[in-house]
Amino acid sequence: MDYIIQTIISALSVGSFYALGALGIGLLFSVLRLINFAHGDFITVGAFALIVPSAAVSATVAIGGLHPVLLIVCIVAIVVTLALISYFIVFQRLQTSSPATMMIVSFALGYTLQNAIVMIYGGRPKAVNLFPELTGQVQLSDGVSVQLLQLVIIAVTWILLIALVLFLKRTKVGVQMRAAAEDFRMARMLGVNGKNVIALAFILSGGLAGIMSLLFVTQTGVLTFRMGVPIMLFFFIATVIGGMGSLVGAVVGGYSVGIVSVVLSAILPEELRGFRDACVFILVIVVLLARPQGIVLTKAAKERV
Amino acid sequence: MLLNVENITVHYSRLPALRDVSVTVDQGEIVCIVGPNGAGKSTTLLAISGVLNPTSGDITFDGKRINGMAPEMVARAGISQVPEGRHVFTTLNVEENLRIGTSIRRDRSDIEKDFKRVLEIFPVLAERRRQSAGKLSGGEQQMLVIGRALLTSPRIMTIDEPSLGLAPNLVDRVYETLLELRNDRGLTLLIVEQSSERALKAADRLYVLRSGQMQLEGKAADLQDGVKVRQAYFGFEDGAVAADEVVF
Repeated sequence: MDYIIQTIISALSVGSFYALGALGIGLLFSVLRLINFAHGDFITVGAFALIVPSAAVSATVAIGGLHPVLLIVCIVAIVVTLALISYFIVFQRLQTSSPATMMIVSFALGYTLQNAIVMIYGGRPKAVNLFPELTGQVQLSDGVSVQLLQLVIIAVTWILLIALVLFLKRTKVGVQMRAAAEDFRMARMLGVNGKNVIALAFILSGGLAGIMSLLFVTQTGVLTFRMGVPIMLFFFIATVIGGMGSLVGAVVGGYSVGIVSVVLSAILPEELRGFRDACVFILVIVVLLARPQGIVLTKAAKERV
Repeated sequence: MLLNVENITVHYSRLPALRDVSVTVDQGEIVCIVGPNGAGKSTTLLAISGVLNPTSGDITFDGKRINGMAPEMVARAGISQVPEGRHVFTTLNVEENLRIGTSIRRDRSDIEKDFKRVLEIFPVLAERRRQSAGKLSGGEQQMLVIGRALLTSPRIMTIDEPSLGLAPNLVDRVYETLLELRNDRGLTLLIVEQSSERALKAADRLYVLRSGQMQLEGKAADLQDGVKVRQAYFGFEDGAVAADEVVF
């Protein structure tokens, strides 16, 4: 029983993390048809921004040593700025290009960011001890203890999800963004400023990436220049499974992938545990064979089929 | 002259879709562009609204050049378009759809007044205010997109095939509404229509477009017998005899 509760919390926490990542990708895809493979590297940049830029072996905290509120604001601001810069310098010029072109450019941008980090910080992994008080265990009831960070990740995710839903439903720009996500040209013909809507999507996506870099570093305690790559793969799979272009789908997909991979590592026999990710990917193939458009069907996807 | 489209040529990649097409619309007029499928009618409207860029020629609105402007800027200038296929936002509810029309406006009190007026003109939209727009019937969706376009407070509204996919009695309703809007509110209208009969009934002036070129222009009153329109529409050189046998 205790083990089951611990597994459930762990699954929800991994699922929440993937859901946030998938949402960051889904937001951009919905208005721009861009699958941003640099999203994981945005998270990496946010993580490295915590320490003093130097190639020294041990990391010296810079922003990472600030008051938590200030720290969060600074990291989010840095990643949002990076996202906006990549929009104005790179993706804005490609707005009329095919989704494939934009995706390839996003790969290039990702590698550029990774190599920039190697140039500035060196290629060695660095240990960072962020929010150590969050990595402790909390006692939920007799015998059931979970890592506090897992609960924090779940709570942060739901706060962000609710805030995002309120923003999209209740504010004028939020409604404009939903309209643009469904039919970009029509929204522009009614006077919705296309550039602003896309810039806003980059801001939201970058903001999510900033928060995620903090959660991720707290969890792993290590900075590496490729830390964003493997998680990006899972985010991408989550958006595809959920249904490209649907934000609800991104969240559903994120939770599905996260929960399945945690449950698999709990139930797989010892010898197969190393192949957990392979099992996840096999399930992905099965799901996509059964439902090629993903779990949540969007109008955009219907038109393409 | 409120809208002046002057000798525009529009290409889809290399292929010309329009050649030297000119259209003028005066304040308070209802002008129809008719023509068969693929004549370039929708292309003309998309060029006006800034979605397509003419390779040559000029489009001026109220004396200002608008070709090359982004669609949202054209909308801001006072041209509202109801494109082919209606394009309601199905993931938004009816009210949200209408509110998108007010994106460009800052005059809050007038927005609320106009909003109420649109719901008076289309009572069905008031009833279904909170419903998802995707659940509306075709006729209701047409009302919604016209209402939405009205809420941008346009000086001219362009409509692409308002009759597409609607039952004949509904088409009558749509045209009645459009005529009322012109008569009561002085709205200027540029309508693309496939049926020349419908256009002859509704329009003050008429253009016939075929194969990307303007074939005929005239006052609806002078073209009521339909002979010239049919010749232009179908492109028979020796005209009346052959064309009269075509039922449409």
